[in-house]
Amino acid sequence: MLNRKLIEDTLTAALSTGGDFAEIFVEDRTNNGIIMIGGKVESTMSGRDYGLGIRIFKGFNSVYAYTNKSDRNTLIDTAKKAAKALEGPNLNLTINLTKTDVKGINTILIDPSSVEKTKKVQVMKKAYDTAFNYDELITQVTVSYTDYTQNIMVANSEGLWKEDTRVRSRLGISSVASKNGEMQSGFFGPGASKGYEFFEDLDIDHYAKEASRIAVTMVNAKYSPSGRMPVIIDNGFGGVIFHEACGHGLEATSVAKGLSVFAGKIGQQIASPIVTAIDDGSIPNQWGSYSIDDEGTESQRNVLIENGILKGYMVDKLNGRRMNMDVTGSSRRQSYRFPPTSRMSNTFIDKGSSTPEEIFANTEKGLYAKHMGGGSVNPSTGEFNFAVMEGYIIEKGKIKEPVRGATLIGKGTEVLNKIDMVGNNLLQSQGMCGSVSGSIPANVGQPMIRVSELTVGGREGEK
Amino acid sequence: MEMKALIDKIFQKGRESGLNDMEVYYSAGSSLTLKVFQTELDTYNLSESEGLSLRGVYKGKMGYSYTERVDEASIEQLVRDVVENATIIDSEDEEDIFEGSKEYKKVDSFNLGLSKISEEEKIKFVKKLEEEAFKLDKRITSVQACVFGDGYGETIMSNTKGLFLEDKSNIAYTYISVVAKEGEDIKTGLAYRTGNDFNKFIAEEIAKEAVDEALALLGASSVKSGDYKVIIKNSAAADLLEAFTGIFSAEAVQKNLSLLKGKLNEKIASDKFTLIDDPYMEGGLASKSFDGEGVACKYKKVIDKGVLKTYFHNLKTAKKDGVETTGNASKGSYKSSIGISPSNFYVEKGERDLNEMIADLDKGILITELQGLHSGLNSISGDFSLAALGYLIEGGKISRPVEQITVAGNYFEMLKNIEETGSDLKFGLPGGAYIGSPSLKIKKLSIAGE
Repeated sequence: MLNRKLIEDTLTAALSTGGDFAEIFVEDRTNNGIIMIGGKVESTMSGRDYGLGIRIFKGFNSVYAYTNKSDRNTLIDTAKKAAKALEGPNLNLTINLTKTDVKGINTILIDPSSVEKTKKVQVMKKAYDTAFNYDELITQVTVSYTDYTQNIMVANSEGLWKEDTRVRSRLGISSVASKNGEMQSGFFGPGASKGYEFFEDLDIDHYAKEASRIAVTMVNAKYSPSGRMPVIIDNGFGGVIFHEACGHGLEATSVAKGLSVFAGKIGQQIASPIVTAIDDGSIPNQWGSYSIDDEGTESQRNVLIENGILKGYMVDKLNGRRMNMDVTGSSRRQSYRFPPTSRMSNTFIDKGSSTPEEIFANTEKGLYAKHMGGGSVNPSTGEFNFAVMEGYIIEKGKIKEPVRGATLIGKGTEVLNKIDMVGNNLLQSQGMCGSVSGSIPANVGQPMIRVSELTVGGREGEK
Repeated sequence: MEMKALIDKIFQKGRESGLNDMEVYYSAGSSLTLKVFQTELDTYNLSESEGLSLRGVYKGKMGYSYTERVDEASIEQLVRDVVENATIIDSEDEEDIFEGSKEYKKVDSFNLGLSKISEEEKIKFVKKLEEEAFKLDKRITSVQACVFGDGYGETIMSNTKGLFLEDKSNIAYTYISVVAKEGEDIKTGLAYRTGNDFNKFIAEEIAKEAVDEALALLGASSVKSGDYKVIIKNSAAADLLEAFTGIFSAEAVQKNLSLLKGKLNEKIASDKFTLIDDPYMEGGLASKSFDGEGVACKYKKVIDKGVLKTYFHNLKTAKKDGVETTGNASKGSYKSSIGISPSNFYVEKGERDLNEMIADLDKGILITELQGLHSGLNSISGDFSLAALGYLIEGGKISRPVEQITVAGNYFEMLKNIEETGSDLKFGLPGGAYIGSPSLKIKKLSIAGE
């Protein structure tokens, strides 16, 4: 994407004021997005993102600058401007770039840009038809289609020079059910690190029906009770609880500066002994997978928690310096507009031994969160909140009536210790994760779990 | 002008490819971000960037595309994408290119003073901000984030119907997030400022605000679940309004995605509640003279003493409803298609301040922060159930801080149950819009705690 001489000269200019490490990231990305509302294509957008980011370290301090232009003058000038933020004698580091091939983990069969948009629209129409015809209470269905191809190049003053291509595809189905002047919605958004074959292989009807089924179930549901109670959280997107309540606190971004409740706790018991948690960006074709991270490090399987004991963090280059730890292939960013930092990829609680039947049978009374919505967390206090998209009352070990509008709140450290049953039905689900380095694709996942006690917020009083 | 020449070439290529009316939207900008950690400037980011988008009518439908490589070599792809994207549109709603309003009020959103502040001064400010926070109280054990940033942006909108509009603006922002610790109890406090007058950024004040917030929350505990009278503090009320802004969009109404459908000129809120969209508000960070389609912006009351007066329209939704556009077309960036957004959008303030409102309350909860606003509410149904922080009010006084609670209700019902609006109008962080509210006293909301 850039020639060797230009990269080397830019890195050299970046190091002119005493920086001890410099890096260039180039991104050339094609985006395609289509929105269908009420069965009609409402809007389409396609375009090309293009830019370069230059990053310089000096000890624990970092400088980042980006631009859209890749001509020699702009690059050298940008590197010099960035370098001006640092002060010190030039260390005269020798830069010797070696171009290394990237071992691709995500096989792409059909390049999305080779497929006509009318075919993509047919996929959307199918999703719309199934979702809309699911039930007469369905009053609106919105379908979104996204594909992108991101070509990147990373080169740094340590001699690393790699190029990679990332292709991702995703379909979003949002159904709205209406009854007596009230509306409820259901959503499903399957995605993968795949080309157009993803849409050809996808069981579109299944996801479309699920989105509508949730909306219809919820429009017929009563308001959730509130108070502290046992909560069973189902597999798949239920993993958002671990992602928010714990995952963010295990990113070096918050650990390095001692801001996380999990800082300094490696080797300590931080969760119930039946909890093992993993972040793995190297699973082929998963939504949160990548061959190399945005610093050029190969993705890998990182065990975060093993049988309740904290084993490791997700570590990027800069924070690794502060923590004196090796990188874990976890450095990610939304685009060239963000300097990369440690982030999650595909993060999940590993499967346990209980069957879902056993988990229900052992729960006298509580809430069953079948599908979770999103949530957020304060990494310093560990306080989190999640929305329950589809919930049910549990009584005497049985699933009873559906309830809407429930929110789960708590503290990460507490909930990890209160997981008292872990199911055997691990499933991963797709989402977008927003944090300091932007919004990135990430999988969350878990088998069905039971938390012995959580605060449920709803509109009805205690029962 | 170089850009004018490029735009002409794009239009020429578009015509050759069968495009009818066309419009180019170009924006360019620069930014600086400074972060301090333990007295050192540990992050220094700067940027210069630009992007250009084209939209055009092909066989009656509007297609869009954009590029961040703003050069002649990109024209062909840009035009080809517009044609292909227009071809698959099958919505019958007509989208037009606008020829221009009769008159545009001038809005000055560029402050020369800010552009003259030296980098040294900015660095000095952000270092001082962190220092002040630590100085204020021993219980402040760390500063999570201490940031100053500023940016400059310019946009050009030019179309084949003869419209040519230019705009430039600059803005600065700063925020600090502190951690207070007492025993095992950890609380955080946040304070921020935005605007293009650097003189209004006073480190001591901002640090104190964040520190006070964190310290006041130490020792918080939950409350008993039940229905309470609630005062939602100004900033939290503004956050809640922001999360529900979409319900006022005519697009959402027309697509059956807003429960305000069919409610024009009906009473949907308490008499105390008036909601205003003022693109010319003094000091408004979303002030502008023209909207995303080039239409002159205008002042409007969306809700007047509880009665819904209008939705937010752009040209497309206005044409469909047979009304005039309200000048609320949005174009978030060159990457976005035309949507709908308010400008400076706020709840009209009342007469009494927060302390007077509290003094009236025998028992209730003051909510100071709502969390999970992007997930814990359903803007279609209006239902919300949100994690919250605040204080218990007993006998007209704040008795203790409260945490680990959720506040739940329905926004449409809540609007009818507003008993009072305070005099303390405050605006949140600016996004596409700049949204504000005074503190709101609500007759009843459901609180879940212990």
